[in-house]
Amino acid sequence: MLRDLNVDIHHLTRVEGHGNIRVNVKDGVVEQCEWQVPEAPRFFESMLRGRHYSEVARITSRICGICSVGHTLASVKATESALGIVVTEQTKKLRTLLKHAENFDSHVLHIYVLVAPDLLGAPSVFPLVATHGEVVARALRLKRLGHEWGSLIAGRTTHPTTVVPGGFTRLPSAKDLAGMRDRLVESVPDLLATLETITALAPMIPAFDRPTEYMALSSAEEYALYDGFVQTVLPDGDRACYAVADYRSCTNEYVVPQSTAKYTRNRSDSYAVGALARFNVNHDQLHPEAKRVAASLGMQPYVTNPYMNSVAQVVEIVHSAYEGLRLIDELLAEGIAEESLVQPAGYGSGASAVEVPRGILFHEYAYDRDGMCTNANCIIPTNQNHANIQADFDVLLPHLLATPASEEQVGRAFEMLVRAYDPCISCSTHHLDVEFVR
Amino acid sequence: MRYLIGVGTYSGLDDSIGLRVAEAVSARGLESGFRAIEIGGSVLDLVHYLDDGVESVLVVDTARMGRAPGEWMIFEPGDVTSRKDLSCVSTHEGDVLGVVRFAVSLGRPMPRVTFLGIEPAQIGSGIGVSPELDERFEEYVEASVAFCMSRGNVRT
Repeated sequence: MLRDLNVDIHHLTRVEGHGNIRVNVKDGVVEQCEWQVPEAPRFFESMLRGRHYSEVARITSRICGICSVGHTLASVKATESALGIVVTEQTKKLRTLLKHAENFDSHVLHIYVLVAPDLLGAPSVFPLVATHGEVVARALRLKRLGHEWGSLIAGRTTHPTTVVPGGFTRLPSAKDLAGMRDRLVESVPDLLATLETITALAPMIPAFDRPTEYMALSSAEEYALYDGFVQTVLPDGDRACYAVADYRSCTNEYVVPQSTAKYTRNRSDSYAVGALARFNVNHDQLHPEAKRVAASLGMQPYVTNPYMNSVAQVVEIVHSAYEGLRLIDELLAEGIAEESLVQPAGYGSGASAVEVPRGILFHEYAYDRDGMCTNANCIIPTNQNHANIQADFDVLLPHLLATPASEEQVGRAFEMLVRAYDPCISCSTHHLDVEFVR
Repeated sequence: MRYLIGVGTYSGLDDSIGLRVAEAVSARGLESGFRAIEIGGSVLDLVHYLDDGVESVLVVDTARMGRAPGEWMIFEPGDVTSRKDLSCVSTHEGDVLGVVRFAVSLGRPMPRVTFLGIEPAQIGSGIGVSPELDERFEEYVEASVAFCMSRGNVRT
């Protein structure tokens, strides 16, 4: 058992954005155990003020290069709510299909590129080309499928172009949808192989349970990703529901000294959002194939090990593939109809929620009679998870100190915990930094 | 197919220049024999465009090259070494050169990959680009389009 420990991970790798892990134990006394987010606010909500409603989703999609589909959908939905726009059933169906594409794409990236290296003992996905070439090739096939699936509906998956308030500016053709259906069917062997890989790696997932409150979008009709109401469940099964318009009453943002990002809480001191939260809240509505996968991985609600969020993502990949097939079949059977954009019927305030890969995302806007934005608020999933990550840290540290784990193993356990949440702290920089050699 | 691919972060000041160039080329209808797309910070998505069905790829991105802010260079991966010391790849703090090396390591036929690197004046959190880059924006657009239309034979 360690009595002195110093873990100082500055800018944790393989997460999106910048976060630090600081753990310091001296002579058995915990002096510091913190998950820190040091990034500067980006003031997107302020940028929206004074913008016309037709521009707002274009701007908010730039909040994130990974979840730009989710931000676009949350944005157009909030705008439509504020302006009295009621979109058609075809639009809802296509947007739900797009939402599945984003979750599929992002989950594949997280599981194979960001988490698998931990479980395979590699520093990144790069060395896995030599040691696990077929796994990497499979990851890229699935990733490409998700990318092209999203592009088919949204014009492009990064900063969508076709999704606007009132509907779509361009619709996919029946031929293209049928082609995507074939590709989804062809992906089944890769999905089965993914399940085999995760099953083989499951023993590497740390055993650690910390029951918490779980929050997700819910719907009477389906495993909600695109629309519904907010539902939370406590580990004893007690549930509470909230209208999306009342999202502030269940998120309760507050600030803490260790973080520039806001924290949230609801019925507990912290709550979790994301794939595991969705699984715990809406498990009964998973596609039967996804339920079968969950059962084969030993998952039954309520799963209270936060490391299992990555495994819940595998379940959701299967769910999205089969739901994608169902939605395409329905769209093809009904026929793709050219539709005009639904125009505003009023003005005021409106809120929306969608499930992005990392959890429930809220947008709220107010517009004046000219359709200009006068107020905006966005609450992103990762911010909702920060308090829960910290609460996990507070329990994980004594748990690890009671084991023979080395300092390096303790550090890795904390890193893996944060990565399991798939945090998207903000988009940082990607510039090249080069030296000419010829 | 040939691609012009903009990389960067829209809210990262000069780090957004690659996205803005791709956006301008697409919005102005300048795509002639090639497609201009943005992949934002999803640098691993670049791999999807590096296969034998693609003729050439021009990546437009901010690049610290030791030049004056606003200057631009066209170069190929073999012309440079990366000073980024990333032991791991992230979907964000990524190294585009690392992604190209990753694609090469897969052993698949590769298209010709070229970079149009633009020296930044300011990288940080915020919308817009510095005056140094803004002043030369049309140059970047013209150079990118000329390069793609010439099938990648233009060198500077």
